[in-house]
Amino acid sequence: MMVWRLNPITRKRLQRFRRIRRGFYSFAILLTLTVVSLFSNFLANRRAIVVSYEGTLYFPTFQYHDMATFAQQDEYGFDDVEADYLALQARFAADASNNWVLMPPVPFDPYEPDFDYAEPPPNAPDSRHWFGTDSQGRDVLARLLYGFRISILFAVTLVFVGQVSGTAIGSLQGFIGGRFDIYSQRFIEVWSTLPFLYVVILLATFFRPGFLLLLAIMALFEWIRMTYYMRTEMYREKTKEYCLAARSFGASRGRLIFRHLLPNCLTPLVTITPFAVVGAISALTALDYLGYGLPAPTPSWGEMIDQALASQNRDKLWLSIAPFSAISITLLLVTLIGESIREAFDPKQYAQYR
Amino acid sequence: MKAAALVEVRNLRKHYPVRGGVFGRQRDTVRAVEDVSFLLHAGETLGLVGESGCGKSTLGRTMMRLEEPTSGDVLFEGRNLASASAAELFTLRRDVQMIFQDPYSSLNPRITIGEAVREPLDIHRLGSAADRRARVDELFEAVGLSPTVQERYPHEFSGGQRQRVGIARGLALRPRVIVADEPVSALDVSVQGQVLNLLVQLQRDLGLTYLFISHDLSVVEYLSDRVAVMYLGRIVEIGKRTSIFAAPAHPYTRALLESVPIADPRKRRDRVPLQGETPSAVHPPSGCAFHPRCPLAVAVCRGEVPALESVRTDGDDGHLTACHRHDEI
Amino acid sequence: MALLEVEDLCTVFHTEDGVVHAVDGVSFQVEAGKILGIVGESGCGKSVTAMSVMRLIPDPPGRIESGRVLWKGRDLLAVDADEMPQIRGREIAMIFQDPMTSLNPVFTIGKQLGEVLDRRFDLRGAAADERMVEVLGHVGIADAEQRLSQYPHELSGGMKQRIMIAMALMCRPDLLIADEPTTALDVTVQAQILHLMKQLQQEFGTAIVLITHDMGVVAETCDDVVVMYAGKVVESCGVFELFVAPRHPYTRGLLDSILRPGRSKATPVPTIEGVVPSLLQPPAGCRFADRCARAVAQCHQDEPLLATVSDKHLVACHLPLEVPPS
Repeated sequence: MMVWRLNPITRKRLQRFRRIRRGFYSFAILLTLTVVSLFSNFLANRRAIVVSYEGTLYFPTFQYHDMATFAQQDEYGFDDVEADYLALQARFAADASNNWVLMPPVPFDPYEPDFDYAEPPPNAPDSRHWFGTDSQGRDVLARLLYGFRISILFAVTLVFVGQVSGTAIGSLQGFIGGRFDIYSQRFIEVWSTLPFLYVVILLATFFRPGFLLLLAIMALFEWIRMTYYMRTEMYREKTKEYCLAARSFGASRGRLIFRHLLPNCLTPLVTITPFAVVGAISALTALDYLGYGLPAPTPSWGEMIDQALASQNRDKLWLSIAPFSAISITLLLVTLIGESIREAFDPKQYAQYR
Repeated sequence: MKAAALVEVRNLRKHYPVRGGVFGRQRDTVRAVEDVSFLLHAGETLGLVGESGCGKSTLGRTMMRLEEPTSGDVLFEGRNLASASAAELFTLRRDVQMIFQDPYSSLNPRITIGEAVREPLDIHRLGSAADRRARVDELFEAVGLSPTVQERYPHEFSGGQRQRVGIARGLALRPRVIVADEPVSALDVSVQGQVLNLLVQLQRDLGLTYLFISHDLSVVEYLSDRVAVMYLGRIVEIGKRTSIFAAPAHPYTRALLESVPIADPRKRRDRVPLQGETPSAVHPPSGCAFHPRCPLAVAVCRGEVPALESVRTDGDDGHLTACHRHDEI
Repeated sequence: MALLEVEDLCTVFHTEDGVVHAVDGVSFQVEAGKILGIVGESGCGKSVTAMSVMRLIPDPPGRIESGRVLWKGRDLLAVDADEMPQIRGREIAMIFQDPMTSLNPVFTIGKQLGEVLDRRFDLRGAAADERMVEVLGHVGIADAEQRLSQYPHELSGGMKQRIMIAMALMCRPDLLIADEPTTALDVTVQAQILHLMKQLQQEFGTAIVLITHDMGVVAETCDDVVVMYAGKVVESCGVFELFVAPRHPYTRGLLDSILRPGRSKATPVPTIEGVVPSLLQPPAGCRFADRCARAVAQCHQDEPLLATVSDKHLVACHLPLEVPPS
């Protein structure tokens, strides 16, 4: 019978992490935000969540319905364009029928401009757009929310790919050692001197980088850092006597690596990952700001900062406050998590006077 | 006549390259084990003694093929461990096992001690799951641990108890030869005695053959039937325990014996200790490696490497020494 | 008057699992010009005692809870923290087990020794070099000029320990505390270092506290001995008395478990069964009671106090062993 148990070292570290409040709460908040942002389509969207019309329920979030469906017409009398759910909601409220519309809390999506203002965009925050609109009349809150989702998903995927491949390559270097280690190490040293930004700019002139291509380009550089740590960890662990003992009774390489060595080498992986996420979010934001990141209408924090810093927008404070505070808070949360993990993993078994 | 040897080590060498430069070219060679030959008879304990850096641990590990030998043979009942294929080696490992020095690093901290002892059985797929469980219980009892503690992790135990776990793991495959690398050196005196008694009892009960590696002369004297003394990668003296300790033939063995502090203040000696320290194994002295520290060194000692020769000319009792001047002493 | 008097010293460590009473009411004296051995197994508190005397306990997690350390009549535990470096090194010097980590790897030996001379004696240049060569000569380093320009990694373990001793002796301290100075060394080099320490004691009259787990080292070098067990002193007396007529069962057990020359595996080694009690919750009575063959009910309830049994022989035991007939 195999019962999955945490070994006492991991258990102790988890306990210690939970006891470090700032890290634990940051983790809880960030996790909640991430999960919530996965449902952005239900939170900020100009399509309604549910429409009840003439006894039928419609769920337009992921489905297109034209105006004809709800007997709607636009100002030019067309009805084969997409339904305007906000207008629909107003109409149903006015005609006191049994029909109703449930709109998301933010009834705008991050792409559609809203020109219902006397002034040209950007428009300052009001009851309609809580965080105002940007220079193309798009809702800032919606863009912030979708921007968070893209940043965090991008960063986590990038770090996952980087850490896994870095761990694999570094472990092999340390485990196999010898000539393989020397040559691969020289390769890594050369590779790591390639200027990342130039490579991205160069590639961006040939391809229009989408989410996946950008991820792939950045992953080419992301794995390097982890190899340094895993290589030395492996070198140290494999000379320990428990590893010799396992070899002395004929343990296979796979068993040595996966059962004995890796579990004892993972401390740097866990402690570095949060800081790698911080780095990835910052890098993506910076690239977007420079215009070499994700392609244009994609909601992104870097692009928002770029707008906020444009000379004609210097007095539109809402444009800068939103993305800057979002970035600061996110990075602060991740940093607090990382710092608490580091403390929980600190081999010094010190305790404070309590 | 002597009993047939269970293990025969012939001209074993282990050299390590010293590498440097961008692409790690070989710069030099460390001759950790240099031309070592000896026999290990069934049921005996051969004590291998020497100071740090003399190559005794490397010798043990090379015999176990934890290090690839540079040249030489290690024959177990005629089968050569030194040149065995991976599959042959895997079966040979059942017969030759190892016990390690450091009870803190020889057990994986993330694996329960029960799993640690069962692992060799799992790897060699010996018996059914129930058989293995019964065998682990039996092993725990054999080394004086309660089988009920199997679910616990190494850090919950003292050094002596961990060493018992290490011994149980070493015995799991029912080996016939055990290479014990400093198994009591990290333990306190009172615990050291418990582990030594256990090793003696296990040898008696299971008919084990030990190669016992240690820097501690008193432990070697206690446990061994025969003793080999190593200096800078070579065996300088080998023979019966009684003759080595009563009548050491090599000046280095003598110096070693004289250096051991005696736990009796009434026997305090105002001796002049042996001068100098062990030279580097990268550039060992010419001739007899001990000559720069030897009070008896003469010209020939600097020029020629002495061979192992029988100490007594009147009969062969297996006492050999590698010293040009042993018959003058 | 004793040079150093430790009275009822208590040092604790605060850990995640609770408070460890590493040193619990330890008292002993060091006479001027004598070698005192503090002997005990790992975890008995012998090193913590030495670190407490030097006030080198890292705080947190450690803390000296109570006691007095009288150095020439002055309580070191009450001395201003700024003043300690003056006493450390100048009056009391210390050397450690691991000579590999005691020297700074990025400076030459000459630079590290020279710094001490510069700071303490305002000695620089040729005069300092001359003094260094002289001191290195004292600790048996022949080619001293050459050694001064070398880095620690170029020297062997024994050589480094000699340098450490030289550094400790440069200020002519009245007391040298040596914490397992030979444990990391080979037996031939251990003999050289012990020989050197005895020579220095005779030549300069330096008192030495030698902390060790090795009864052989104690027998060869010490004048007086303190035996510690689980944070307490269990016996203290002259070295001859200790080996000839130990009065505490633990001391007896330790002496019996030594492998003496001529012993063979035909007879089992006498051992002390059981394990050292946890210092998180030490037992109420005598801490050795659970492992002691002579223990009676009283031993498990009342803690035995260190009491004089004969001239300068102190034992903490309710039922001390008889003196064997000579």
